[in-house]
Amino acid sequence: MNIFFILLSAIALSSALGVILMRNPIHSALCLIVNLVAIAGYFALLNAHFLALVQIIVYAGAIMVLVVFVLMLLNSKLEEQKSAGLFMLVVSSVFAVMFIVHMSKIYGAEFSTSGVASASLQGTVANLGRVLFTQYVFSFEASAVLLMAAIVGAAMLAKTTPERPRGDGERV
Amino acid sequence: MSTSSYLTISIILFSIGTIGFVVRRNAIVVFMCVELMLNAVNLAFVAFARHHGSLEGEAAVFFVMVVAAAEAAVGLAIIIAVFRNHRSIETSDADHLRL
Repeated sequence: MNIFFILLSAIALSSALGVILMRNPIHSALCLIVNLVAIAGYFALLNAHFLALVQIIVYAGAIMVLVVFVLMLLNSKLEEQKSAGLFMLVVSSVFAVMFIVHMSKIYGAEFSTSGVASASLQGTVANLGRVLFTQYVFSFEASAVLLMAAIVGAAMLAKTTPERPRGDGERV
Repeated sequence: MSTSSYLTISIILFSIGTIGFVVRRNAIVVFMCVELMLNAVNLAFVAFARHHGSLEGEAAVFFVMVVAAAEAAVGLAIIIAVFRNHRSIETSDADHLRL
């Protein structure tokens, strides 16, 4: 168990750094896919079997395919090399380190155990489905409506309007 | 492993996502940094769910995934619309609402 955690941590942290450090957005997307699979591994270690599978199928599969598809469709040029964001990088890094230290101090003492060791708690399809269809049934149905609205909204935003001719490079 | 080690990983991943969100200028990379932050929070949710021995945290992760999928669809459609008007997906180029 321990060796898996260390291995997954190395993969997750290095691929997360790869997302923000890679110049080419395609490489960032590939690093993010590795990171999502590593987080699915964490879910499996935490006995959340259903979420581990959904993480791979929905996130690393569907959502990232959509992102990579749009990225290749737009074929954007590489991010320019000028260091306009150096000041922002320093400021956000300082705040991030402060955040990490602060939260680690809060959580380090209180959650130093692995909690209640209930062997009955397994995030299988049956157990999680029972929770979703009884306690959270309204939220579940509402999320169906949300997905429907997202499909309609995405189709409406992305479709071209035939009346207006598309200007080549001109600003509207 | 203890819950705090999972939480530490989650906090570090969230911070990396935040730095990328602030620093990067490509809109799709900014979008991917948001996904990174959402996944860090999901990891914390599952770690807390195991710590407290209940499945409600995992149900919350399920809904976060649903919202992230909807956000991905609409966000990428908006990026395509911006690209169609500006021929660029740099976040600094889409500043026409600035006074």
